[in-house]
Amino acid sequence: MRQVKHSEVLTVGVLVLLFAAAPFVTGDEGWLYLAALIMTWSIFALGYDISFGLTGLLSFGHAAFFGMGAYAASWAMLSAGLPFSVGIVAAIGAGGLSALVFGFVGRRVSGLYFSLMTLMLAELISIVMTTRLRHLSGGVDGLPGVPRPQAFGIDFFNAANFYWVIFALFCLTLAFCAVLKSSPLGQALRGVRQNAVRSEQVGFNVGALRLTALTLSGCLSGLAGALLASLMMYVSPQLLGWKMSGDVVIMTLLGGSGTPVGPVIGVTLVELLREGLSATTEHWYGLLGVIFILCTIYLPEGVAGLGRKLWRR
Amino acid sequence: MAALGSRSSSVLSCQNVSVRFGAFQAVNNVSIDLAAGQTLALIGPNGAGKTTFINAVSGRVSLAAGRIRLGDADITNVPVHRRAAAGLGRSFQIINIFDQMTVLENLRLAAQSRAFGWQPCWRPVSAWPALERRAREVAAMVGLEAELDLPVTMLSHGKQRAVELGLALIPDPKVLLLDEPLAGIGHSEIEPTMELLQQVRKGRSVLLVEHNMDVVDRIADEIVVMVGGEVLLRDRPSAIWNSAEVRRLYLGSEVAGHA
Ligand SMILES: Nc1ncnc2c1ncn2[C@@H]1O[C@H](COP(=O)(O)OP(=O)(O)OP(=O)(O)O)[C@@H](O)[C@H]1O
Ligand SMILES: [Mg+2]
Repeated sequence: MRQVKHSEVLTVGVLVLLFAAAPFVTGDEGWLYLAALIMTWSIFALGYDISFGLTGLLSFGHAAFFGMGAYAASWAMLSAGLPFSVGIVAAIGAGGLSALVFGFVGRRVSGLYFSLMTLMLAELISIVMTTRLRHLSGGVDGLPGVPRPQAFGIDFFNAANFYWVIFALFCLTLAFCAVLKSSPLGQALRGVRQNAVRSEQVGFNVGALRLTALTLSGCLSGLAGALLASLMMYVSPQLLGWKMSGDVVIMTLLGGSGTPVGPVIGVTLVELLREGLSATTEHWYGLLGVIFILCTIYLPEGVAGLGRKLWRR
Repeated sequence: MAALGSRSSSVLSCQNVSVRFGAFQAVNNVSIDLAAGQTLALIGPNGAGKTTFINAVSGRVSLAAGRIRLGDADITNVPVHRRAAAGLGRSFQIINIFDQMTVLENLRLAAQSRAFGWQPCWRPVSAWPALERRAREVAAMVGLEAELDLPVTMLSHGKQRAVELGLALIPDPKVLLLDEPLAGIGHSEIEPTMELLQQVRKGRSVLLVEHNMDVVDRIADEIVVMVGGEVLLRDRPSAIWNSAEVRRLYLGSEVAGHA
């Protein structure tokens, strides 16, 4: 038990150090962009895992929280001219609020029905945003020019500078997830995943706990969405599509759900694969599919699970 | 007002409770009340509706008819977790514990629900030592001090039963519903578990479903016999064992099987 905890702290430390060292090792904008992208998606995957790994809610609709976060930040900064920090708060709020709505609509369903309901609600939002709300979302073309922070006279359009903003939020997310997991709320959510009937019987309001978990998960997803929009300086309804939801599920499971590093490892693998292969073959996503299937068969606890096994030896 | 008419001595009062599963009537017009400090055994053949009745009282199934009162409060339409918070504890016939946790984690989690209105998320659970203190207290009560840090899956069936009971005891409930607390327990563990039940029932009201007539005879103040979803009769143990009706309808076949 204690040994596992030790290894977790160690791996998280190594990860943070790696990302902290990246700008000193390479000044290459491309690599820094990739590392920033990995941290951004990691925030999304860590958020996703609050819902899936911790609470046992398999959602196929997290793209809605991610995309609404991206749009909320973009609207706040582009249309209202508000500063980046307000945009981030708006994104966290929008992600959390969408998740709250999903959770409320799905409060009576569980298991596969919950998963399908989240998928359909997210698709509904995606379709409405692409068609009816074209004037707000920019339609399929999206909205270009999503800004980055402007403060202290630092030029955040410089990749290296913006990198540190994302790094800071990435570290905060890791810390938040670690504290959450060991907190009373985290334990209660763990209980809900393991045995909802018993949780109710010892006096927990299971519905409210699920809603809380989904909302927190949505908040982090929204934050990640805003960071991605700022990183790409562009937002489009693609961020709301089912493929985004699928990606975050695959990344989380591939890396290993229920651990602090698993989702980050999963994101890193997928992004490196995309980076390495998408130039040479169009079918990289198919290859990812094969890897994913092999992983679910041979590494049911993900890559992080494999690492844990080796550590215990 | 209805409250004035109710019998103040009964802590749990179920009036004309019926439960249906589709067309099947699992519990039919059952009225049972439980006096303060009383241990009432609920016996009956398999499929009599005992577990379903416990489920109705704890809120797991909804009633087709009838009312349930806990103390002065009508809890007929109150959700499970609020009944639990109001002082209604229960154990399950099939062991129902947090199976990927240690004994300590199980009990501490149960202690959490009452400790906070809104579960905090900004500090580790160890920042509230009272939770662990309560968990250790109850572990000692049910004989699990030595197993505190073991994952529950590594425990014997009897020890898992103890965790099951411990989870119900954490909030110190006034009313305890025990659904076959000896089910699946090895012969050598029956005696200590019975002692434990004797201790647990002190100072609270217990509704005990049990097939082991030996145990029922030694623990229960009164017995309700249920058959086919209905109450056949309610009496003191000695009277139940002597009832020709009970012998004919139930005990003739059952007691032999449990002797
Ligand atoms: N969820 C359900 N849906 C349909 N029928 C049910 C359900 N639960 C119980 N039953 C039926 O209701 C009847 C009573 O079941 P119950 O479990 O209450 O019996 P019991 O007295 O606890 O029996 P045992 O001694 O075997 O535990 C049985 O015929 C059972 O098949
Ligand atoms: Mg039963």
